[in-house]
Order: sequence, then structure tokens, then C-alpha cells
Amino acid sequence: MLQKRSWAEPWKVKMVEHLRMTTREDRERAIAEAGFNTFLLPSEFVYIDLLTDSGTSAMSDTQWAGLLKGDEAYAGSMNFYHLESAVRKFYGYKHLIPTHQGRGAEHILSQLCIKPGQVVPGNMYFTTTKVHQELAGGRFADVIVDEAHDPDSEFPFKGNVDIGKLRRLIDSVGAKNVAYLSLETNVNMAGGQPCSMANIKETCALCHDHGIPVFLDATRAVENAYFIRMREPGYADRSLAEILHEICDQTDGCTMSAKKDALVNIGGFLAVNDDSLAEEARNMVVIYEGLHTYGGLAGRDMEAMAIGIEESVHLDHMHARIGQVEYLGEKLMEAGIPIVRPVGGHGIFLNAARMLPHIPREQFPSQALAAALYVDSGVRAMERGAVSAGRDHDTGKNLYPSLELVRLTIPRRVYTQAHMDVTAESVIALYENRDNVVGLRFTHEPKHLRFFQARFEPVSGTRVLKD
Amino acid sequence: MKTIIEPFRIKVVEPIRMTTRDERERLLADAAFNLFRLHADDVLIDLLTDSGTGAMSSLQWAGVMRGDESYAGAKSWYELEDSVRTLTGFDHILPTHQGRASERILFELVGGPGKVVPNNNHFDTTRANIEHSGARAVDLVIAEGRDPRSRHPFKGNIDIAALEALIADVGAEHVPLVMITITNNSGGGQPVSLENIRAARAVCDRHHLPLFLDACRFAENAWFIKQREPGQQDRRVADIVREVFGLCDGATISAKKDGLVNMGGLLLLRDAELVQRADELLILTEGFLTYGGLSGRDLEAMAQGFREVVDEDYLHYRIRSTEYLGERLLAAGMQIVEPPGGHAIYIDAAAFAPQIPAQRFPGQALAVAMYREAGIRACEIGSVMFGKGGRPPMELVRLAIPRRVYTQSHIDYVIEALTEVYRNRDQLRGLEIVDEPPSLRHFTARFREV
Repeated sequence: MLQKRSWAEPWKVKMVEHLRMTTREDRERAIAEAGFNTFLLPSEFVYIDLLTDSGTSAMSDTQWAGLLKGDEAYAGSMNFYHLESAVRKFYGYKHLIPTHQGRGAEHILSQLCIKPGQVVPGNMYFTTTKVHQELAGGRFADVIVDEAHDPDSEFPFKGNVDIGKLRRLIDSVGAKNVAYLSLETNVNMAGGQPCSMANIKETCALCHDHGIPVFLDATRAVENAYFIRMREPGYADRSLAEILHEICDQTDGCTMSAKKDALVNIGGFLAVNDDSLAEEARNMVVIYEGLHTYGGLAGRDMEAMAIGIEESVHLDHMHARIGQVEYLGEKLMEAGIPIVRPVGGHGIFLNAARMLPHIPREQFPSQALAAALYVDSGVRAMERGAVSAGRDHDTGKNLYPSLELVRLTIPRRVYTQAHMDVTAESVIALYENRDNVVGLRFTHEPKHLRFFQARFEPVSGTRVLKD
Repeated sequence: MKTIIEPFRIKVVEPIRMTTRDERERLLADAAFNLFRLHADDVLIDLLTDSGTGAMSSLQWAGVMRGDESYAGAKSWYELEDSVRTLTGFDHILPTHQGRASERILFELVGGPGKVVPNNNHFDTTRANIEHSGARAVDLVIAEGRDPRSRHPFKGNIDIAALEALIADVGAEHVPLVMITITNNSGGGQPVSLENIRAARAVCDRHHLPLFLDACRFAENAWFIKQREPGQQDRRVADIVREVFGLCDGATISAKKDGLVNMGGLLLLRDAELVQRADELLILTEGFLTYGGLSGRDLEAMAQGFREVVDEDYLHYRIRSTEYLGERLLAAGMQIVEPPGGHAIYIDAAAFAPQIPAQRFPGQALAVAMYREAGIRACEIGSVMFGKGGRPPMELVRLAIPRRVYTQSHIDYVIEALTEVYRNRDQLRGLEIVDEPPSLRHFTARFREV
């Protein structure tokens, strides 16, 4: 195995996609037209796109060959059976219900398993997951460990469930009022932070003792498995495939956005062990997604997913993947940039509140930092702070989560070391000139998931980054 | 020249597998006599649906390679937006992973208990989405549309008088919109005339109701208008398409038909307030506004597909191929929905096997016999699909023709096989349901032969 000193990729480049260079004037105009929201930028004005690692990966030549083997029959496509066997082999669940992407699976799981008034505990919220739980009449309750909310804590498993919090929650509302535990691997909003196997086992045992099912958000479960291998005693010699299987074995099913670990541009699934839940899910998937043997995916995309799942558990792949993220993180830390530590699996999370102390929380420092970063270098990042958190369900007031972050998400197998260097240089330059970054206020605020479509303006002047 | 050739040649092929009769007997039993349950590689010629089963062109595959997979603002999205604007004139275009997602978003916004949604004929997923919202779905196709033998040129037309009567009866305030499906799939792939759409528009105007299209097969419908409607012969299909979309306030489209792609859909809207609410639902259940749950490459393929489908040489070949199959089955003595529709031939199974009563599913029995005889997969559209609601339907078996996939020799094989089944039609056996889900039972129900 390649050692840490070098994280050289276990592949070479087979197909390239041209990028467009822009001038600072171009970018100032583009971000103003986008209402200072990086989501609203046309991608052709973006140089290095670190908005998300979701669906943005480069597929392998084997996956592209799989695209050509797509069996587009409406019912019983061969690609479905291939995918079903890959999910059974690597994730271990009995029933596979494909969906067009992860939120399709979350929608079905929430509708089937939550009764109005029930609580859904989870290790930190995720934006779309929480809205689906609320639409089904449920209420999310955060049971993640306190360390997760502290960007400077070096705790190795900041994704862990706080067993005490979970027990107190079950005791206070009663087990029958808990729909299920939603257990996320490599917790996204905490900075891509893993759960330990010991914690997963303890959490699942506690839930099962109370008759509460556990559904995994398996989106980045393989990256989580990698951290278990690197950090948890007793796992150094286990394969990622074995660790992944052991994680899934503790739980009753999972929702999956295959656009992350599984290296595809589109696709997801719901997988469960319970026969009757699977039957109900199949009856529902046909209304919302597509017949249960395609779930709203082209045959070719199921084939690419089956192959991607197999590629995702290769240790050399994951070593290069996480190694690249660490490389960027180390560069930033050396320059004194405050980031969430330890470095997570899928991106670097800049601590915007700390980077821009002159911008108060009400002026959305993360949103301003993401916009300014784009103006500086054409790097597109994503706000993960107060704008993403939205407003309190009952009071209508802005929520201010303890983490006010900008996420530099690294697509898999897409960017080179030089791209990472440009990104680091831009963040460092911005930090040195941080007083030039101007806070923002809303000019348009959607009701649900406002971060996607919100528009802003600088609180003074017309530019988010002064000269 | 009399022979109409395909306006393309073949660039990539996909092998198909022959099976023996013994194998097929076993496979049928394993699939509980529901052809949706068959593995696709056990099917020789797959006429189950024309949805998502078409062959893409080399230009579409080039688009697949060009796909920009950026999460937000992908170039491929702007390519699609431009293509659809040019085609339809609509400004507000929402991409969805497929047609039923467009329907779900629309009816979650305008449906609900107490509402009534008229249509010429609702298709299965449309009806399911409307009923799921608590609203009532009403079919108002003209009387000729329910008579398989009528040769009316526009059997998909909505009955304007019945539409007026329904609105008077339930009150315009309970009708969120009027819908027209082009072509009318459940009624035999029959077209709707431009005049009929204009008349429906006038009714909607009088009652201040929006008119929506279920526009999956808009290009095939426009071809029929050009061929059959007085005064339309000299117009370009693209112009007819543009006029039809111009007459309505919105449309749901499964791009898996006339979009010539394997996956994708659209929701077109004019009302800005509705657009905003639809955007929020789209993000929640489908994907961000600039990808809607599709990969960038699928957006790109769709943009190109919508350009190719209004090519008149293509439409001529497409509609003539379907007609050829229909003429030959009629010549062999079978009864079909006449005249042949755009995307499929619908065999009248009640006439084919009069010994099997509706409750023993003659359509399902015929579809099973076709697979048993020749490995051909077709789709029942009768008491299995629609038998649980309202008026007893026609007992049909649909032979849907995937676009640009099968050659004339494949079709000749289908004709021979069906002729053989017809010769032995006395031996067809009815079926009964062993178990079924609460809705859309045709997809997953299990049967046994009686």
C-alpha cells in the first residue's frame, strides 16, 4: 500500500473536460447576477467546482463501459439484478429498492415509517432528511456527541451518537414515540466526521432493546469505514468491505445517495431487511419514482452504480480520496486557517465565524466567505451555516447553529494536486485580506431549504469583496 | 417511392436471446403470469412499452459524453432549457426524473379532496397521482373513442359538451384544471385534433380554468394533425407543436417517449406563483432546479432528442411502421383499435378470446399466450390495469413499439407469432389474481391460470 507521504492516485486520466478561465470582472458580475449565492452561478463561470461531492465524480472506464451495457427494458432490466447483487454483497441488506437519488429513498422511508407526532433522533440534522421527516409529521432530535459542535475538538469520532442523550430522549418521550433512529455515517454537517464501530454497535443495541429500528444514512459509509480502519483499535487489518458489511449488519436498512461513495452521477436506493416493509416500499416507489426494478433510473445508471459500489471499497482508491482531502487541509492549517478538525472525509470545512470575526452572524459570514472566494479565484464552495439551518419551526426566528462553516467539497477523482494548490492559495489570500469581505442580507428568502435559491445583497456597497 | 425506409442506419447493436418453449413455461410460472415480473433478458421482443426503451442517436450519445455534472447551473441544463423553449415557447421549465414526478408535483399543488380533474383519458400514473391527492379523475373522451371499430380520425378528442356539463355539474371552483392527453394512450394512442384543443381552450377561457397537456407524445400527435386535419397539410410539424403548446397553460411530459431518451421528464408552467411552489417541491423530492434528479448527460440527451423528434422523415417512418403492424393483423382477421394509433397497436382481446369473461382477464391471457408462443412481451390495458375504478374498460393488449429499435423483420416475426396464437385462440385460458397491491396492481400482482 502507498504510504501517507504520497497519496498518488491508483488510476490515470482517460478523458478530460475543459474548464473556462474567467477574469475578476467576469466573476464580480456573475456573483452579483447570482444574488451572491453560489448555487445560482452557471457552472461555466466556475473554475474549480467544490460546491458538492454529490454526483460530480469522474466515472471509471469500466463504469462508462457499463453505461453502454444499459438494458433499458421497463421491467426486469439485467442491470437491476446486477445492482441488487452488488448491494447484497457489499451492504448486506436483503431487499433493494432503487430510487432516482438519495432524497427519493428518504421520502419513501419517512412516509412509511414515521407516524405524526413521532420523534426521529439522529446524529446531527441533514437539510433534506430533516424536511422529509417533518413533512411526514415527525420531529428531528439531535443526539450527536457534544464534540461534534466544537470545530476545534480533535476527537477522532465526532460523528458518534451520545448514548446518554439518546437514552434520556427515549425515556422522556417513550420508545413507542420514537419512529426510528437515523444514523448517518461520516456526518456531513459536522464536517464529514465518522462514527466508531463501537459506538454504532452500542447505539443500535440500545435502540433494538427498546424495539426501535435503526436506519443508516449510508451515503458516505465507505469513507466512514476507512476512518474506522485507520483510527479504531482492532480494525487495522480488516478490509473496507468487511467493515462496511459490519456497519450495515447492525442496522435494519439504509437510505443511500449513490452520488457520493458509489462514484456515479445519479442514483440512490432504499435497502431493508424486513419483508413487509420492502413490500410497502415497492408499492410506494412505483408511484413516486418508477417501477421497482428501475426506480426512476435508466438501466445504464444502475449498471454504473453496481460497478461503482465495487470500486468504492478498494483501499487504494479510498486512500487517495481521503489523502487528497487531507492534503488540502494540511496546507490550510499550516497557514493558520481555522478549519474543522480533524479533517473529514469529503471536504474541508472553513470556520467562517472565526475567519471573519468582523461580520456578525446576522450578516451570514459563511455566505459572504463563499461569495468572496468565488470572486477571488473562481472556486465555488457551499455555505453550511445559518442560511442552511433556516428558521425555527415554531418561532420563525433564524437558527444560528454552533458551526458557521463554508464547505470545500472535493469531487472524487476529478481534480489534481495543482487544483488543490490554487484553492489553498485563494483561501489563504482571502484570510490575509479578510477585512475586505462584506456581510450579506437577504433580498429573497424561500420557505423551505432556503439556501438553494435565496438571493442576497451586500450590507454596504455593491461588492462582497472590496479591493 | 412506395417503401418507407428508416431515416437512419444502425450504429450500435444489443444481442437478444432466444429461449425454448419449455424455458418460457417455467419463466411464466416464476413470474406468476405477470409479464412485468419477467427478467428482460428472457424476453426476445419487448413490446411492453415505448417508454424509455428507444434507441438514442449518435448525436444524443455524444451529448451523453458532453454531460456537465455540476450540481448547480450545469451547461447541459441551459442546453435543455434552450431546446425546450424553442420547441414549446414555454419560459418556465422544470426538469424531473420522469413524467410521474411532474404529475406528482402538479397534483400535490392543485389536487386535493373535493377536486375533479377531467381529461380525455387519464393514464395509469396520472390517475394514481390525482387519486393519491384525494381528487377525482374523470375521463371524457368522445363516444367514438370508446368504440374500437370507429374510424374517426381524432378518436382521442375530449367531448366538449361533456366537459361543459361536468363543469356545470361540479362547479368551476372544484376543477383545478382541464387536462388533455396527446396522443390518448389508454384510448389506443389516438390523436387529438387542433380544433378540439382550441375548443377546450375556449371552454377553459369561459370558466377561467387552466388547460394542461399530458404531452408525452406531442410530436406523434402533431404528425396526425398534419396528415388528417383540414388546412394543416402545408404546415411544419414544429409549427403545429408550437401552436398546441401555445394553447395551454402548462404540461407534464415524460421525455421517455417523444423526448427519445431512456430517462427524464418535464413540467412546463406559465403561472409565476405556481412556478415558485413547484420549485420548492422539485428541490425537496427531485433535485435542484437545474438538474431535477437527472444526470447532466441525461439533460444533454433530452435537449437533442427534442430537436430530433420533430423531424418529419422520422415521424413518417415511425407512424407508418405502427400502421404496417396494424394492417397486417387486421388482414389476418384480428380485431384491433382502429385506425392504428401512433406508438402502439391495441388488440381487442375481448373479441380475440370471447370465451374468457372480463373477470378472468382476457387481455392478460392473450399477453401470456404471446410470450409462451414466441417470447414476445406485451402489456395488458384492460381489467387488470383499470378494472378497479369506474367504467368497465375495453379489454386491450398493447403492442408498444420502441422508437428506432426493431426492424421490419422483427415486426414480421411478431405478426407470424400472433397469427399462430389467433389460429389456436380457442385454447386461451383465463387467469385469476392470487395477490395484489392497493394501487397500480398491474405492475406487481400475481396470477394463476384457471
